[in-house]
Amino acid sequence: MSDVKSNPAAIIDAAKNEMNPLSVQGRFNRAKLKQVANVEIVIAFILFTIIVVLALFGSFFQTHDPMQGDLMKRFYKVGQDGYILGSDHLGRDLWSRAVAGLQWSMACALTANIINLMIGTTLGLMAAEREGWARTIIRQITDTLQSFPFMVVAIVVVVIVGHGFIPLVMTLGLLSWVVFMRVVYAEATSIYQRDYVKAARIAGVNRFAIMFGHVLPGVRASLFVIFAFHFAGLLIAESALSFLGIGAPLGVPTWGNMLAESRQYLLKAPGMLLVPAGAIVMAVITMNLVGDGIASLSRKRGRSIDV
Amino acid sequence: MSTNPVVHVDNLALHFVSADSVVEALKGITLNIGPGEVVGIVGESGSGKSVTALNMLRLLPRGKTKIPHGAVSVLGRDVLAMGEKELQKVRGGEVSMIFQEPMTALNPVLRVREQMFDVILRHQKITPAAAEKLSIQLLQDMKIQDAERVFNAYPHELSGGMRQRVMIAMAFSCQPKLIVADEPTTALDVTVQAQILNLLKERAKATQTSVMLITHDLAVVAQLCDRVYVMYKGKIVEEGVTRDVIGDPQHIYTRALLNALPEGKTPKSRLETVAAAMIEGGDKVAATPITASAQAGFTQFGRAQPLFEAVNATVRYAKKYNFFGRPISYNTAVDHVNLSLYEGETLSIVGESGCGKTSFANSIVGLVPLAEGELRYKGKRLQDHDEITRREVQIVFQDPQSSLDPRWPIWRIMTEPLTVGKTPGRSELRETAEGLCQLVGLDPRSIDRLPHEFSGGQRQRIAIGRALSVHPRLLLLDEPTSALDVSVQAQILNLLLDLQEKYQLSYLFISHNVAVVRHISDRVAVMYMGKVVESGTAEQVLTNPTDAYTRTLMEAVPTLERAFAAA
Repeated sequence: MSDVKSNPAAIIDAAKNEMNPLSVQGRFNRAKLKQVANVEIVIAFILFTIIVVLALFGSFFQTHDPMQGDLMKRFYKVGQDGYILGSDHLGRDLWSRAVAGLQWSMACALTANIINLMIGTTLGLMAAEREGWARTIIRQITDTLQSFPFMVVAIVVVVIVGHGFIPLVMTLGLLSWVVFMRVVYAEATSIYQRDYVKAARIAGVNRFAIMFGHVLPGVRASLFVIFAFHFAGLLIAESALSFLGIGAPLGVPTWGNMLAESRQYLLKAPGMLLVPAGAIVMAVITMNLVGDGIASLSRKRGRSIDV
Repeated sequence: MSTNPVVHVDNLALHFVSADSVVEALKGITLNIGPGEVVGIVGESGSGKSVTALNMLRLLPRGKTKIPHGAVSVLGRDVLAMGEKELQKVRGGEVSMIFQEPMTALNPVLRVREQMFDVILRHQKITPAAAEKLSIQLLQDMKIQDAERVFNAYPHELSGGMRQRVMIAMAFSCQPKLIVADEPTTALDVTVQAQILNLLKERAKATQTSVMLITHDLAVVAQLCDRVYVMYKGKIVEEGVTRDVIGDPQHIYTRALLNALPEGKTPKSRLETVAAAMIEGGDKVAATPITASAQAGFTQFGRAQPLFEAVNATVRYAKKYNFFGRPISYNTAVDHVNLSLYEGETLSIVGESGCGKTSFANSIVGLVPLAEGELRYKGKRLQDHDEITRREVQIVFQDPQSSLDPRWPIWRIMTEPLTVGKTPGRSELRETAEGLCQLVGLDPRSIDRLPHEFSGGQRQRIAIGRALSVHPRLLLLDEPTSALDVSVQAQILNLLLDLQEKYQLSYLFISHNVAVVRHISDRVAVMYMGKVVESGTAEQVLTNPTDAYTRTLMEAVPTLERAFAAA
């Protein structure tokens, strides 16, 4: 990385850019930006580690059984009698339920995201490589899917196929891969125009070898970035569906269900709302920070490699 | 020279500093540019010529550079002591800049109108109506016929030459005292280059503006500049009136630079490379006798079967489609081309961008289908692309940035063609790559490095190595040197000549650089609008062209000789 900073050629290029009367970049201090970016990456890493640890080893950190209530201990305040974040209307520990919700949400979003990634990447690569009818069909499907508001379609589908983890994951997985397809398609198309791909074709290299040797590694960095951002989107979608009562089965401790339950006790026990809401906000912010971090790291790397 | 120079640089040194290293970019340079003077700064990449210009406007980041000694003054004021506010006024107002790449220097999403307004209104207090009038006047001064259309156009609607004219018009818009032109015509065709250089010179003389021209092309300097400074490794090694410096160079480096030019050298002789000259410190005469292959090439015209033949080759691109997606009208890029190429011979195709030469090359390697006609290799149809012809016909692309996968180590790049149809072991491939490195003059120990760790010339060597990995007989060279410095160009041309001699390779050399073509070719074909307008031996076509277009092309080429005749 240090060779980028000290490389005179890179400095000269940056300076030329500055003299360009029309360049918008270079107006602010790049060095400062880099420092900010580094702090961001560190924060993202710490938060991400916490979430991963909680998701994997949640039961070690749960102080109570998230399903087991005690009607004598309803609406406890924060820290009261060993209830770290208080208790809900059935006397269940909010902290333990939030951790359980994290596990549920993470599993759901992760599985759906992997399905998205696989469908979107495959279709994007196919559309970029194949001209003619295959490309047209894939693009038509993508456009059609994108033209419907995602949540509305998801609600309709979930209502039809029913509750539960698998239906929810499949709905999210099969309906929201558009962003992956778009990005892979755009970047792969540009890579297919490069001379090194032409050279490989001329040499007779098989098209799968080109796809997996040249094109896929070229879009890999972007895939990581979208994966992180899209993860945040899926977390919200999952919570929203559960909140509406059509995601997770009733009674399962998920953030969406917790929010739904809190509605009746807003004034009496605001903690019931604030705990799951805060958890969602933290998780979404973390994944967005992770996305930003990966993007800025790959941009730095890209500068020393691609340009 | 005038008593009040526009630019005065006095014994300036500049270092790039970082945590772990110090690079001495300038080592005490002194230069002057007088009012209305056109001054050239010549040198290769890394000689410090761009750094000199950028530092004059304090555009280099202050944290990363250090100026141990020296002074820079522009219009009598000390630039090094100026604050950011004052500098803003100098930049774009009193001093403006023209860049090499007109495509990247213009904003693609704004029309020329908005971009010109932006510059004019930022530095002058006039009404938009007056700015519009001024803009159109400026474009007309650039000899743009339909200035109104250009004014309202987006950059992508304009040709490269037109974009560069717009850039120059913008540079003149605030009546600058000095224009810094950084390789302004390197990206352009020769005929366009000639027009642009003349315009720049004319406008500069008419408005009494000084021009600082940064270039590596001595022929351009000879055509345009009053005086010239030659830079080498951060020092000015020679300065003086252009005519004297180029006509009678004193310093070894200037002489080496002139010797590296193919112009005026015996065709097919080895060119002296700058690096070799600087090491030996002598001025050995470069011209060695004509190589065996060249003579072989000349004698082979009468031979029976050509290695490669194009018969009525035609390439068309669909222009418009009907409702069902079927093309209804075409652009003909290559129009019934007939050519033949013999074993061990170099045939060059010369022409400007858009003449169809690259489409022709693409059709040979099968990237573009032929609409009509036939291509034959050793008498067989080339379109069928069987295993053997595919191996024996290879291509080297123009841009070594884009022709190597940035994520692959070079051993993998160079041996990629060998992995077709079989899977040789890793160690076997690495060994082959080492051999190829030696063949093309690279260090075999560097096979694990990534392409970005190599310079442009080295990357082109890697590309040549990749093409050679499958033992081709015919090599298509699509402008292999046009992205390179003169001295690096000389090295690559030498390498190509050596390889041809060693393996009896045939080259189909595609270029717009007439001097290079003259140097490397046995025969030449000139293409214009998809047709071959003239073909014959290199000597015959390039010295005594019969076709009108060929003559125009030859006259547009900047040469040292012609520049002196005009002066």
